Amino acid sequence: MVSGMRGLLDWLQERLGTREQLTQFFYRHVPAGTGWLHTLGSAALLLILVQTVTGIFLAFYYVPSPEHAYDSLTYIQKEIPFGTFVRGLHYWGASLIVVVVFLHLLRVFFMGAYKYPRELSWVVGVFLFLLVMLFGFTGYLLPWDQKAYWATVIGTHIAGTAPLVGDYVWRILQGGEEVGVRTLGRFYTAHVLILPAILYGFILIHLAMVIYQGIAPTPRRGLDVIKNQDYARLYEASKEKGETFLEHLFRDGVVFFLLFLFLVWIAVTWSVPLEDVADPTDTQYVPRPEWYFYFLFELLWLFWGKWVPVATFYIPLAGVVLLFLLPFYDRTPGRSPLRRPLASGLATATVAAMAFLTYQGATAPLPPAATIAQEAKALPPELAKGMEVYDGQGCSACHVVKGRGTAAGPDLSRIGASRDKEWLKRFLKNPSAVKPGSPMPPYQQLPDEQMDALVGYLASLQ
Amino acid sequence: MADEKNDVLLLPPSRRRFIATMLTVISGAIASILGVPLAGFFALPALRRPERRWLEVGPVSDFAQGEIKKVLAKSLAAQVWPYEIPPVAIFVQNQGGGSFALYYIHCTHVGCPVRWSSQAGRFFSPCHGGVFDKEGRVLAGPPPRPLDRYEYKIEKSVLYAGRIYEVNEKLEFTRWYQA
Repeated sequence: MVSGMRGLLDWLQERLGTREQLTQFFYRHVPAGTGWLHTLGSAALLLILVQTVTGIFLAFYYVPSPEHAYDSLTYIQKEIPFGTFVRGLHYWGASLIVVVVFLHLLRVFFMGAYKYPRELSWVVGVFLFLLVMLFGFTGYLLPWDQKAYWATVIGTHIAGTAPLVGDYVWRILQGGEEVGVRTLGRFYTAHVLILPAILYGFILIHLAMVIYQGIAPTPRRGLDVIKNQDYARLYEASKEKGETFLEHLFRDGVVFFLLFLFLVWIAVTWSVPLEDVADPTDTQYVPRPEWYFYFLFELLWLFWGKWVPVATFYIPLAGVVLLFLLPFYDRTPGRSPLRRPLASGLATATVAAMAFLTYQGATAPLPPAATIAQEAKALPPELAKGMEVYDGQGCSACHVVKGRGTAAGPDLSRIGASRDKEWLKRFLKNPSAVKPGSPMPPYQQLPDEQMDALVGYLASLQ
Repeated sequence: MADEKNDVLLLPPSRRRFIATMLTVISGAIASILGVPLAGFFALPALRRPERRWLEVGPVSDFAQGEIKKVLAKSLAAQVWPYEIPPVAIFVQNQGGGSFALYYIHCTHVGCPVRWSSQAGRFFSPCHGGVFDKEGRVLAGPPPRPLDRYEYKIEKSVLYAGRIYEVNEKLEFTRWYQA
């Protein structure tokens, strides 16, 4: 066996010079300080491979048409052995990749690894990051359930707010005037053919660059500031002190294996959401995007009326452009995050803002639902009546009471503690007279009896 | 810096230019012979305006004056493929005197489905707090314009919905939807 292996290697060596190539590849030195944080890129790559494999297997049974997509998914989950597991790996794997790719981006940013001579690796990396997000966006239409359909309606609407070309982009994305059979065809083709081809192309370029240039130096003492003309010398010196790539590969292997086990654990223990089949005529559905788009979805709260494109177009565009061009406007020699406080500070603030918006999205109150009738039963009759008015007048479309509603306006869970009935009544009748500039619509046409019940109910919330 | 050996390998400039031009012409020809039909194949079905197709909303007598009612309208256009067009939800309001308003169900902000509350007399969007009055005017939230509407016609006492259009705050036509 061993001699057979050796024979094969000799055979290859004679023709391709394999031994030298492998030696050069595995025993090249990585710079000193290369450690566990440097495993995120390879972890992302290996997770993408898992995604590719599970995706190919899902394609054996999935049918990309509005009539059959949902049923084919139900079939995969209910009838195909390991169906739920395979879909679970693919579904949760997508989220895991977003996390790992984002952490990889942060690692590269904070270690200044995008600086000379690796500017192009960064640019290609940003492409890869956007491709991963596009995979998410195109992928979640495919189940053709309610979430899929409505998230895509919103996604294409957002694309439609682009200036000048918005309407064309919108229709070309959808394949027509609404999200339908051609949209699914487009998203499917993009998800399984176009994006993978581009993704692997860019991955090869990204890897070729890393192999050609080597892993970026860790910005430790002596390397925290590197002038371009000193780079080659300092980098070689750092590699002298570093381990071999084979030793680093061990860390890569351990980290990926742990992530993989984590993914398997999730796929086994968590169920994969599949909502009801898409219904474009449903006007009770509350659309929510996938968690990694929460920051964009929550950003939409902040810009009203004619300013809507700021949130849907200009801020995302500015973000992408700033990300792409980072190595070209930030050409300071500092590499350690401590040696470039402005860059580190701005990046930390951006990440904090994104994290905050994501948290807001994740903890958004539950949509107003049918449990209200039950809750009303537990209340004294006059308060129950007020609650019915609250519900009937659609107050929960803008206000939250005890974790239910939409947080457009103030949370009213404890409104009675700060406002009395008199004030509440005056405010409801004409909000902008009491609080100039209040966006709340007036309720003066509400019959007195209902108004009193509503005010009584609100005052009771303490 | 070209040394003697490289000079021997280099082709005369005229020959080099000829080859480069020919390769460019050949690639350009292949790209356009393939590219033009493929671009049309991809984009034209999306951009082509279907013949003006009407949706059958229902008999006029179904709609009491002042009321707003959600209906599922059927498409009348002969369909090549897919054979069945799913029904389209429309909020229909009989404004009296033979006048109707037919509202598109998508919020003008980012397209979430608005719900009609007859008690409140308002449309509510479940996403970012958009509120519209019963004529579709924006009362609160981020929506940039009133609810979009369908053009309509009445034939033999049956109401039909046509193309969707956008209106301004005075509820006047501004442009066709996705024009």
